[in-house]
Amino acid sequence: MAKPKIAICWLGSCGGCDEAVVDINEVLLRVADAVDIILWPVAMDFKYDSVRRMKNGEIALSVVNGHVRNSEQEEIAKLLREKSQLILAFGACACFGGTPGLANLSTKEDIFNWVYRDAPTVVNPNGNYPQAASRVNGKELTLPEFYDHVHALNDIIDVDYYLPGCPPPPYLVMYAVSAVLENKLPPKGSTLAPNRALCDSCKRNKSKPDRISIKEIKRIHEVEADPDVCFLAQGIICLGPATRDGCGEACMNINIPCRGCFGPVEGVEDSGAKFIPAMASILDAESDEDITRIVNQFVDPVGYLYRFSLPVSIFHNKRAEK
Amino acid sequence: MSDYEPKVVCFSCKFSWGYLTDEDTLSSKMDNWVPLICTGKIDATHMLDAFRAGADGILILGCPEGDCHYQDGNYEAKKRVYLIRRLLESMGIDKGRIRIVLSADPEGESIPKLVAEMRRDLAKLGPAKKRPVKERKPKEATKGRGGT
Repeated sequence: MAKPKIAICWLGSCGGCDEAVVDINEVLLRVADAVDIILWPVAMDFKYDSVRRMKNGEIALSVVNGHVRNSEQEEIAKLLREKSQLILAFGACACFGGTPGLANLSTKEDIFNWVYRDAPTVVNPNGNYPQAASRVNGKELTLPEFYDHVHALNDIIDVDYYLPGCPPPPYLVMYAVSAVLENKLPPKGSTLAPNRALCDSCKRNKSKPDRISIKEIKRIHEVEADPDVCFLAQGIICLGPATRDGCGEACMNINIPCRGCFGPVEGVEDSGAKFIPAMASILDAESDEDITRIVNQFVDPVGYLYRFSLPVSIFHNKRAEK
Repeated sequence: MSDYEPKVVCFSCKFSWGYLTDEDTLSSKMDNWVPLICTGKIDATHMLDAFRAGADGILILGCPEGDCHYQDGNYEAKKRVYLIRRLLESMGIDKGRIRIVLSADPEGESIPKLVAEMRRDLAKLGPAKKRPVKERKPKEATKGRGGT
């Protein structure tokens, strides 16, 4: 029997997700025995053309990481969708737009002006900006078109499964790979990670008082956080209550609060908005002045609450306006 | 923008606002009025959802301080509103688009007036910038670096 074909591909990605695939170590060799890897730009030399020549649905699974912000990324995403039976959105960028999604707070024009004109290290006397097409010596040169927005993968193509994380931890990668190989997949649209909030499994959970109340919001670099006590009880913002479990508490273990790379739990659309009532309830302030004082200690709320998920948030989700 | 009519969604707690007047009568005097039991029930998601649905501003009318039937629902609502206003501000959206009033008016006559007052203030701000950047569907893929 022919081995199932698998593609691993990066779009707008830092490479950390591909690294996470490599992090399954020697299991990767067993995976490579069980499947045919037909595309993995970061690790192997394959051509998109050979993918184009394949039959529709010939690839059993495409593991796609990274967001979509230009026409090349969109083209590859659509090509893989056409040729694959299953698409796995891999990592926070593919699932929610990821950290690059914060660029949606700026316009394309602002970004270009900064990168090609205003940044102190830029020397661009002719004012050249990248163009999708330009003519040089009578020949047309093309570059991928830079879109106005960062998109999560499911803004562009139909996605079958999601595996969030920045990057996804090796044990969930193995779980996802074996679920595909053994054909034990959950219903389409599922996230291949536990369906509960991070606080449920957090070791610090037991340390929190019955009712948390804080009078100050502190930032992690301003204090020496107690490694055994709930961050929220220490007045440090931790997105654990509104974030899906499954990351293996990598941040908690090095005494850093949760930043939400696993996105919302099932049924929640906007984890940032969901965190607000949780946070409001622990603020110990009554007068308007007191509440204002504490709330103003929250530095860069949009960057903190939507660090990984701005493109799919209620305010910035393009699908909202379809 | 002379014909611009700001839309305000008004949530009000039935324990202090308009419970002596028939709801139909009151709601005929304004659009998008949502009477509910306890403002503590209003999630941040509801507020952002109202903006998504086209609201330019949100007015929340809760019970006077210390008068919540459920102890502290109005107080929780107030803290949420302050946090969301801070979030909106950091998104570049005017925080005046969410307003909370903790008071009481059993007859409810002041509800349409408060809504009208907020609409007047919003008219000065212009339509809510639901997204800082205007959305455009990506064009069909043009020929990328991948070649043909």
